[in-house]
Amino acid sequence: MTIETANIQVTEPSIIARTLSYLNDPRRRGKIIAGISILLIWQFSVMAFAPSFVAKPVNVILVFPKVMNDITFWISAQSTLWAVFQGLAIALLSGTIVGIAMGRVKVIDRLLNMYINGFYAMPMVAVLPLLTIWFGYDESARLATIIFAGFFSIAINARDGARSVPPEYLEVCKSYRAKSRHIWFDVTIFSSLPYLVAGFRLAAGRALVGAVIAEFFVAIDGLGMYILSNARSFKHNEAVVAVFALVLFGLAFESSVKWVLKHYMPWHRRDETKD
Amino acid sequence: MKLLALINSDQAWVRWITSAIGLALGLALWEAVGWSFNPAFMAPFIGGEGHPGTAPRLYQFMFDTEFHTSVISSLTLFLTGFAIAVVLAIPLGIILARLIWLRLSLETYILVLYVTPMVALIPFILSIMGFGFWPKVLVVVLFAFFPILYNTLEGARSVKQELLEVARSFRTTELAIWRDILIPYTLPFALTGIRQATGRALVGMIAAEYFLSSSGLGKEIEVASRTFEMASVLASILMVTFMGVVFMRLAQLLEQRYARWRGVDK
Repeated sequence: MTIETANIQVTEPSIIARTLSYLNDPRRRGKIIAGISILLIWQFSVMAFAPSFVAKPVNVILVFPKVMNDITFWISAQSTLWAVFQGLAIALLSGTIVGIAMGRVKVIDRLLNMYINGFYAMPMVAVLPLLTIWFGYDESARLATIIFAGFFSIAINARDGARSVPPEYLEVCKSYRAKSRHIWFDVTIFSSLPYLVAGFRLAAGRALVGAVIAEFFVAIDGLGMYILSNARSFKHNEAVVAVFALVLFGLAFESSVKWVLKHYMPWHRRDETKD
Repeated sequence: MKLLALINSDQAWVRWITSAIGLALGLALWEAVGWSFNPAFMAPFIGGEGHPGTAPRLYQFMFDTEFHTSVISSLTLFLTGFAIAVVLAIPLGIILARLIWLRLSLETYILVLYVTPMVALIPFILSIMGFGFWPKVLVVVLFAFFPILYNTLEGARSVKQELLEVARSFRTTELAIWRDILIPYTLPFALTGIRQATGRALVGMIAAEYFLSSSGLGKEIEVASRTFEMASVLASILMVTFMGVVFMRLAQLLEQRYARWRGVDK
């Protein structure tokens, strides 16, 4: 942006005019109408058929400021998100190393393949009791669950990514006698990046589920436990706010991944934004 | 150097021997870990005096009617929930492929529900619906429904509008539009969703069995872990994993079978 704009007076359209032009797009209007109808259906069907403690949108909105002022909520949210972040970082680092080694060295692949595939198919909830016995009934069990949930999908995708390096690139490297560190860091890692991102995305979803399940199971303070204890004492509206916090985290992650793919990995093949 | 080239070569016998060595090493490690820890902490694979093994326990389970009941109850839960999810999600996805305005308005909300960790809803289901079979089925349905719908929707987006326009110009019947355009276009994507959903539904199944009324393999694992019978815990986990591998493999075969339908432009 080097164009001089200092002397040009731009009259900002009024907020009403901007809102109107925003609503002029029929797609947006459809989305807003659909959203409002979903909320209305929720509100009235709960009012008509469900007991009074069940969450209703109006009550959720009313209770929202109270939850925002509740320090327990923020501590829980921070505890869960920090654990997910730590676990994903560990899973990403170790999963990438194992996965790329498997993708490029055939012996390692043959030795580990069945274990990685087997553990990937194993539902992490099933090993949860085992992990609590091994790591104790505290936060390390949750961290272990998160790592377990994330590691294998990252490793599998890293492996597929490392395998997908176009053979021509490697041949060119060989012809020019490129050093192996160049082959690894300038070719292999970059061409498997889109796969890694896909694996990381899968892993993040699974890690969030793992964190919540571990909190339910072991009763560790966190968003899962916040939901469970509020739902148990029939404060469903408060619990719904915490569910929304989890959804928000998932969405924020999803959209930031999409943004990174679009801006930094234009070689990412799958056309995400196609409509 | 020659040895390195040999063990990395693609000859069939090299492949088989390395895989066998991998399996043997893994089992040996398991056995060693099992023997070196307290039996309440970890069970070995084969085991022996004082250290009950996982493989013998699994063999015992094969003839144990109580275990059979658990497996059947888990399978019933899984299959009922999964079938309901498939039957609901795929037609809804195809309807959204047909009604573009509806798809455009609902897409965002479906994405939101797709990223929602459905486990978080279990406490609500528990306090609203209580114990019993159907609340658990609802959990499995919730876990499986959105991956299928989300992927079918992706297929719906790939339906070419030109084809629908040509169909309309020739006054094609609605049935033919579904049979010849919508279903062929969306089916491969729906099958990808079904493959994703098998893994999630299995998680849902076990989670429902833990946190709602206890039953099936989830109960087996939970009860055995409370009494520190690690051999039983590991044997049940192996059983669940076996189910997971079988379902995922079946779904993968189905997906590959119809992958060709994705068309040339995709």
